[in-house]
Amino acid sequence: MPDPAPNPPTASVRLAIRHALGWLVAGNAVGLWLCALQLRPSLAVGDWTYGRWVPVHLNVQLFGWTSLPLVALLLWIYEVDLGKAARWGATAVWAWTTALAAGALCWLDGRTSGKIFLDWRDGSLWGLVGAMTVLWLVLAGAWRERAPFWKAARKWCSLGGLAVLATVPAAMVFSASPKVYPPVDPTTGGPTGASLLGSTLVVIPLMLLLPRLGSAIGKGRAGWGTWVYLAACWVVFVAAEWAGGTHWDFHQIGSMAMLLPWVILIPWDWDAFQWPAASAPWRKALFLWWALLTLTGVGMYVPGLLDRIKFTHGLVAHSHVAMAGFTTSFCCLLLALLAGRPPGGRRSLLAWHFAALAMVATLAVMGLAEGGSYDWMLANPWWRTVGLHLRACCGAVMLVASGVWYLNLRKP
Amino acid sequence: MRWLAFRAAVVVAGVYGSFLIFAQFALVELIRGSGAGLFAERAVLGSMAAAGIACGFLTAWRGLGPSAIRGALVALALTAAAAPFGRVFAVWLATGVLTGGALGIATVALAAHLRGWCGVGWVGLGTGLGYALCNLPWVFNQSPTVQAWAGAGFALMGAAAVPNRSGWQNGSPAREMSVWAAVMMFAALVWLDSAAFFVIQHVGDMKAGTWGIGMCWRNAAVHLVVAIATGGWLARGGFRMVPMLAWTLLAVAGLAANSAATLPLAGWLYPAGVSLYSTALVAWPGWSSGAADPRATAWRAAWMFAIAGWFASANGIGMAETLRHVPTGFVLGAGAVVIGCALFSDKGGWRGLAGPALVAAAVLTGNALRKEPSASAAARGKQVYLSEGCIHCHSQFIRPDSPDEALWGSAASTANARADVPVLIGNRRQGPDLTNVAARRSDAWLRLHFIQPSQLIPGTPMPSYAHLFRDGRGGDLIAYLRSLAERNPDANRSPATAWTPANVLPPSPENGGRHFARWCATCHGSAGRGDGPLAASLTKKPADLANGPFNWTAGDEQTELRIARIIKFGIPGTDMPGHEPLTDQQAADLARYVSRLRNQPP
Repeated sequence: MPDPAPNPPTASVRLAIRHALGWLVAGNAVGLWLCALQLRPSLAVGDWTYGRWVPVHLNVQLFGWTSLPLVALLLWIYEVDLGKAARWGATAVWAWTTALAAGALCWLDGRTSGKIFLDWRDGSLWGLVGAMTVLWLVLAGAWRERAPFWKAARKWCSLGGLAVLATVPAAMVFSASPKVYPPVDPTTGGPTGASLLGSTLVVIPLMLLLPRLGSAIGKGRAGWGTWVYLAACWVVFVAAEWAGGTHWDFHQIGSMAMLLPWVILIPWDWDAFQWPAASAPWRKALFLWWALLTLTGVGMYVPGLLDRIKFTHGLVAHSHVAMAGFTTSFCCLLLALLAGRPPGGRRSLLAWHFAALAMVATLAVMGLAEGGSYDWMLANPWWRTVGLHLRACCGAVMLVASGVWYLNLRKP
Repeated sequence: MRWLAFRAAVVVAGVYGSFLIFAQFALVELIRGSGAGLFAERAVLGSMAAAGIACGFLTAWRGLGPSAIRGALVALALTAAAAPFGRVFAVWLATGVLTGGALGIATVALAAHLRGWCGVGWVGLGTGLGYALCNLPWVFNQSPTVQAWAGAGFALMGAAAVPNRSGWQNGSPAREMSVWAAVMMFAALVWLDSAAFFVIQHVGDMKAGTWGIGMCWRNAAVHLVVAIATGGWLARGGFRMVPMLAWTLLAVAGLAANSAATLPLAGWLYPAGVSLYSTALVAWPGWSSGAADPRATAWRAAWMFAIAGWFASANGIGMAETLRHVPTGFVLGAGAVVIGCALFSDKGGWRGLAGPALVAAAVLTGNALRKEPSASAAARGKQVYLSEGCIHCHSQFIRPDSPDEALWGSAASTANARADVPVLIGNRRQGPDLTNVAARRSDAWLRLHFIQPSQLIPGTPMPSYAHLFRDGRGGDLIAYLRSLAERNPDANRSPATAWTPANVLPPSPENGGRHFARWCATCHGSAGRGDGPLAASLTKKPADLANGPFNWTAGDEQTELRIARIIKFGIPGTDMPGHEPLTDQQAADLARYVSRLRNQPP
């Protein structure tokens, strides 16, 4: 694997970084607009009401801000910019952005599938699959050109990676189908503990792989015990998912509890690597949010508490722990490693994380209040308005911080 | 040197000011006011454009200099001053030709020599001044005659300020993009702006909302500030970003203009977008076209102003005149041209464009192949439910052994919920669960609620969906909600008959009166006579609570319990809805108040 990226990033990696941060800014702006619409529904323009903007916010954050840093990582791993494929790196990045922009127009136009986190259908689905295909072709072209210069292990691992990536468009078509839906907890209508374990188990290998892909120097502490535990988690996930059940069942609660050791295991593993000094605050932020995400996730699954916060702002708070906290920290760290410098200084970093934390706290308090009765928002319009204003202020700070990051990493 | 630069900025302001207030505004109104007819108007404007293009190329060919600018501006001033006295078609035609010719010479020669007189920041000042002068209330709100004379004054001001020498120093400025990419980019912007401006000035209340009383000062200030800022930005190399931002502002302004609530936003964004691209348009030949001398600059300016100026503005106005609106597809197409030219016009940039082109083709193909909507109203309504994102605020899942059941009926079956395609359980409630909503709400009530939600539910965050009832979507959505309730017809019955207010203090008729004013008076009227503001919109007049159904009942606790249950859960099959958000105490207070409304039998 290549060394950490102390040098300035190559052209297409730099482009992907810029697009990722551009989408973060756009997603935050839409989030702020959603908050304004909650406070003043009459601001909606024509058909573009709150319900049509929500998928834009969700998908821009998921498929723009979260996905494009991974696209940048792929472009870096496959050394797209070091050969003839360099001419096509920008094609892949722009194709991805166009698919997302077209998707946003489709959602605003009312073309939705009803699948909240996989809202791709008709044209938008074709567009995304097209963008994925373009990216794969660019990576494959780069592999063909660059592989002869690589060691055998890297050559075959990256070929395996290409094989896995080739299945992603088909997997997207399958999972975006309205006919496909994960198991449901019959007492809440929400996901089972096993499902939540499964979705987190996609993230954990990514965290274990990040320093091993060449982002840091040295060797981690994760030995065979860690990998066996990871495999055990997967086994538990498959078994509990197959068994089904509710959040009152031991095996579903136990599935969630399997996540707890990872709060320690990931920092313990990463601590043995030598990281670029500038990445330290971003890693610390990542670990704090990771701990908060895991602990609150497991804690909220406890019978009684989940029943109170289900369908409330409390779940929105947890989503923001996941996206504004953990995922953003992960993506910022990744961008810092790829760009060779952090997205922003201490002030923007603190501004983002404290604003995100304040937003999460506000939403959590609102969720707990709402949990007593869904009509809390109607019965207490003053408190609701205060909460939403606080949320909007936090959103504005996060928007400015992300704008600073965009401008900072846009500079050569 | 600064004095020279300032004079150059004044010339820019003079040319812009006379062009905007006389050629674009006053002349058209004067022709209309003379009763010359639509043909004459179009002929004059056509001849003006033809003369402008011809004289622009003539200027480039002959390499005309500062004296030509001065002469053209004097000719323009005389033409503008004499225009109010025109009466016959031939005079109007001559006025059009003279105006176009003078502007063609002045604009191309000025663009060719500006770089020798000032920095690009001064171009921003000149452009902003030109727009600001035209937007001053003393100018903008005057009669066409005074506006024409004001245009003449601006032209004379410009003529007086024209420097005597060229001042150009040889050396190629940066070439940001190919000439044709720049021409296409600015043409798209001018076309969009001209169409949008025509619509704003001629359709509905848009003019009042954007150029109304007191707004001229704001528009003048926005133009001036944004143009000056743009000049500074261009000096730092923003020739790609400025047009893209201009398009974004114009597009958002166009969308915001569609709604009364956001029309003020359009009033701020539109002048900002116009000033952005206008400054860049004037500066482009001298600072970004790569031309090495005034002659080459003049040729590029001639092509730019011919296509992006005269041709695109005429087409923009023509499009708006014909359609009376700016199609969303055109706005997006203009954006694709602007962004495409700004980002992909470098050598080899077509590769970057290939990805978006491929994806765009895939999106269009996928949308073209989508299935046609179902013939069933309920199925179409389900699609409306999906399209409007109802799932982001409403659930369709009543949790077993939870307070949900008391509020919305018996618990959902997971198998039934999962059998729905797509599954619409939802994960967030900012409003009620909708599984059984139609069991406690009539179609008439649902329709009213979609149109004016806050009239029926005070303080609700639900936006108005009145637009769904301008076509069939609203009816389809109600049919879908009804189909949900029909799956489980007895869902509402058990909680409604079993519920009793729990742990309540002695009911307070005073509090009940306040709740009545908030929740009930809109249909039942403030005195409970069934004559509220929305009464006429319901299928049947709401009950007269003073002389109606409770008149002959005994005023005991059982009666109040029945009334409380009706208040809480409604009367299925009628327009009387449930009021689930009320607490038990509120329902008891209301029941006490309502029971006291009745007139006692003699």
